[in-house]
Amino acid sequence: MSTAESGRARRWLILAGVAGALAVLAAFPLAVTDPAATSIAVFTLVFMVSTAAWNIFSGYSGYLALGHAVFFGSGGYAVALAARDWHFKGGWDVFALLPFGGLVAAAIAVPIGVIALRTRRHTFVVVTIAIFFIFQLAAFNLSFTGGTSGIELPIAPFPVATYNNPFYYVGLVILVMTIAMSWAVRRSRFGLQLLAIRDDEARARGLGVKTGRIKLAAFVLSAFPIGMVGGLYFYFLGQIFPQFAYDPLFDISLALMAFLGGIGTLVGPVLGAAVLEALQQYLTQSVSGSGTYLIVYGVLFLAVILLLPRGVVPTLTELVKSRRARAADSSTIEEPRDQAVRSVAGAIR
Amino acid sequence: MSGLLEVTEVSKSFGGVRALTACHIDVAKGSIHGLIGPNGSGKTTLFNVITGYERIQQGEVRFDGIEITNAPPDQVFGLGIGRTFQLTRIFSRLTVLENMLVATQRREGWLRGLLHRAGSSSEKHRATELLEFVGIARLANEPAGNLSFGQRKLLELASLLVADPDVLLLDEPAGGVNPTLITHLADRINELNKAGKTFLVVEHNMEFVMSLCHEVTVLSQGRPLVSGAPDEVRANPAVLDAYLGGEDDAATQLELVSEDPARRPRAPVAPSRTVSLIQPRAKLGGPEPLLSVRGVSAGYGGGDILKEVTFDVPEGEITCIVGPNGAGKSTLLATISGLLRPRQGEIRFGGRVISGLAPREILARGIAHVPQVHSLFNEMTVRENVEMGAFTVDDRALVAQRLGTVGELYPIVRERADEKAGSLSGGQQRLVEFARSLMLDPTMIVLDEPSMGLDPQTRRIVFDMIELMNRQGKTILLVEQNARAGLRLSSRGVVLENGIVRLLGTGREVLEHPEIGALYLGGTVSTGGAPSAVG
Repeated sequence: MSTAESGRARRWLILAGVAGALAVLAAFPLAVTDPAATSIAVFTLVFMVSTAAWNIFSGYSGYLALGHAVFFGSGGYAVALAARDWHFKGGWDVFALLPFGGLVAAAIAVPIGVIALRTRRHTFVVVTIAIFFIFQLAAFNLSFTGGTSGIELPIAPFPVATYNNPFYYVGLVILVMTIAMSWAVRRSRFGLQLLAIRDDEARARGLGVKTGRIKLAAFVLSAFPIGMVGGLYFYFLGQIFPQFAYDPLFDISLALMAFLGGIGTLVGPVLGAAVLEALQQYLTQSVSGSGTYLIVYGVLFLAVILLLPRGVVPTLTELVKSRRARAADSSTIEEPRDQAVRSVAGAIR
Repeated sequence: MSGLLEVTEVSKSFGGVRALTACHIDVAKGSIHGLIGPNGSGKTTLFNVITGYERIQQGEVRFDGIEITNAPPDQVFGLGIGRTFQLTRIFSRLTVLENMLVATQRREGWLRGLLHRAGSSSEKHRATELLEFVGIARLANEPAGNLSFGQRKLLELASLLVADPDVLLLDEPAGGVNPTLITHLADRINELNKAGKTFLVVEHNMEFVMSLCHEVTVLSQGRPLVSGAPDEVRANPAVLDAYLGGEDDAATQLELVSEDPARRPRAPVAPSRTVSLIQPRAKLGGPEPLLSVRGVSAGYGGGDILKEVTFDVPEGEITCIVGPNGAGKSTLLATISGLLRPRQGEIRFGGRVISGLAPREILARGIAHVPQVHSLFNEMTVRENVEMGAFTVDDRALVAQRLGTVGELYPIVRERADEKAGSLSGGQQRLVEFARSLMLDPTMIVLDEPSMGLDPQTRRIVFDMIELMNRQGKTILLVEQNARAGLRLSSRGVVLENGIVRLLGTGREVLEHPEIGALYLGGTVSTGGAPSAVG
């Protein structure tokens, strides 16, 4: 088989895979009608979108951001306030506000990015955390956020049996959009420059890459989908409180999910989120003691770092590649394991 | 002739250390301009200043008549100045081809990058062409991290060419690269130069510089010493001084190259032959040396850096190893102290074989190693740092007693005991490192470039301390870039070049050997008409 042919075959295979996955996801609420399950699915979609969006910035640029809950909460508040003040009745109309939530999040990301991206590596992580706590504190204390009592969102008049489905499908659309965005970034010059920044920022600058603008663009881009699903999430819950809107666990979860799946890859973070969030929701619902999932998280995180330091997807890809190479009886140069460990250690840092 | 790249009156200091002082350099359009000078003379700093990695308060940088002083790196690149780095930098997790696509086209807006797909077919075509030009096209889809050191250098160069810059600044392109590849690299540079590219090349490999460059500037202590055609520079005594150090001592001024070069004996020594200046009596008789290195070959990764090195270190003396950059001096010290295992040969210390032992065992036998790079724990106090020197000793009283002794010898250890080591100057840190090495009461102290990065005054203090430690009974083995000062201090001299011992003798003999200068300015040592020399 010629390389062009195999390339075409590969492309068809990928297309078929994407279509299949979409079909399964679209059919899910029709097949599984248990509201408990579909509600888990909605939460899971929210995290799949968030992790995929977070990965566009942190995964590709190597800058570990631990403050994306700011965009999640701000998108939520934006949608909640808009729905209340502009007298939305509740129903499909509130979904139309989600892009507004995304825009607010993206607008907030601009000044945060300008400030935080002046710093590098560890300092950047600390600055994003600090900014996160400023937002949390503000949400508790400002009058327009309703303080600790939060804001109620309109209740959607969907039929009780299939109440979750509209939220599910809207979430699915946002997920498809986010993955498409991530894919487009990855194959663009912009994405390549982000990856170059991840490997060696100083050298990237020396090759003419306007690193400041590139990083800021990625930062803002990653805030938008998170703002949207922030709106979706709190609309689904019916109310928004500061402690849920600006939740430090949200920040850590995104990083953890991305690491589990494979940070910096297209689908890895999405899969990581799918597994971890679904598991967490399931554990919360079935096991008493709401903190159990934290222990599971910790154990999983340790296991991934020790056994699959680059995440599940890259490790599997490597495995498949080397199998195929062995089958074709041609030798490949395998990345030394210690280098892989170092690259993850670098990413954590 | 007005230069394409003009650096005028540029000064730059880091903390209190002046890296560049009123530095001036003029790179003519279409030339290959070499920049040489000893370690720490400011070559890389000059590159950093030109390309915007370091900001300056004084001076001016002009490119094609436009002032670019303190312009950020991406802008400098956009104007047409590309650079490589001393420690080759590539994007190791991108493929070779992707590495080639990172560089922006000149005057390209950043928004274009947002909307454009990486690597249109024409871009890929050009990238592949350039990879073919440097000779690594077959590796296009390999992750760049898998490339060898030399291939990385080629990739780094090729990735600059994508944007078609007018000027290329190359920081040690031949450093750590094998001879075949060096020739290949020189050919590529010549071809590009013929196509109109201007080069500014920092390089320690004198043969490379002298054969390639049209003009050479010698930097010394942050200012240009001489500028001119390679032959003129090679024949300038001041250049030798810059390389050999000891500019303060006119009495031992060696007139090495001022003699007519044509009269110099041409015959090179057969590569494996060592010229020994030691009298046979001294070589055979006398007590057994404290350290004896016999036929040691060692290296990192694939190749051998040291090739069958043989020499002795007599007890109670100071032995100095000198040689050009990349000769294997640090590797030799690392092999002696056990950080690197020799591939063949034997090292004996006090009559017992120590090659193959772990570093801590060798330390326990009495060899303390003070490495080239400053090795204090910055966040710990001076006292804690010195105590760390004896952390293998459990006897608290003994540690306290040694701390007292060391404190007498090095007052700084007492005076600044509670200050953080990181707050000391470079020279003071060196002294604390010496103090720390004494804590185990070693028989022999191995010093790697003790004077590196030190100003002349501190350097003298450091050398005085080395002499004092020696007088108190310590055997000292030292590697020194400042060859003149090092050899004057020493009773024995060893000249290393390309991993081979080229000269052995007393410090004075080596110092006064007429060919030592050749080692620093390219070429190989010749024997002065020794009958056995290859005709």
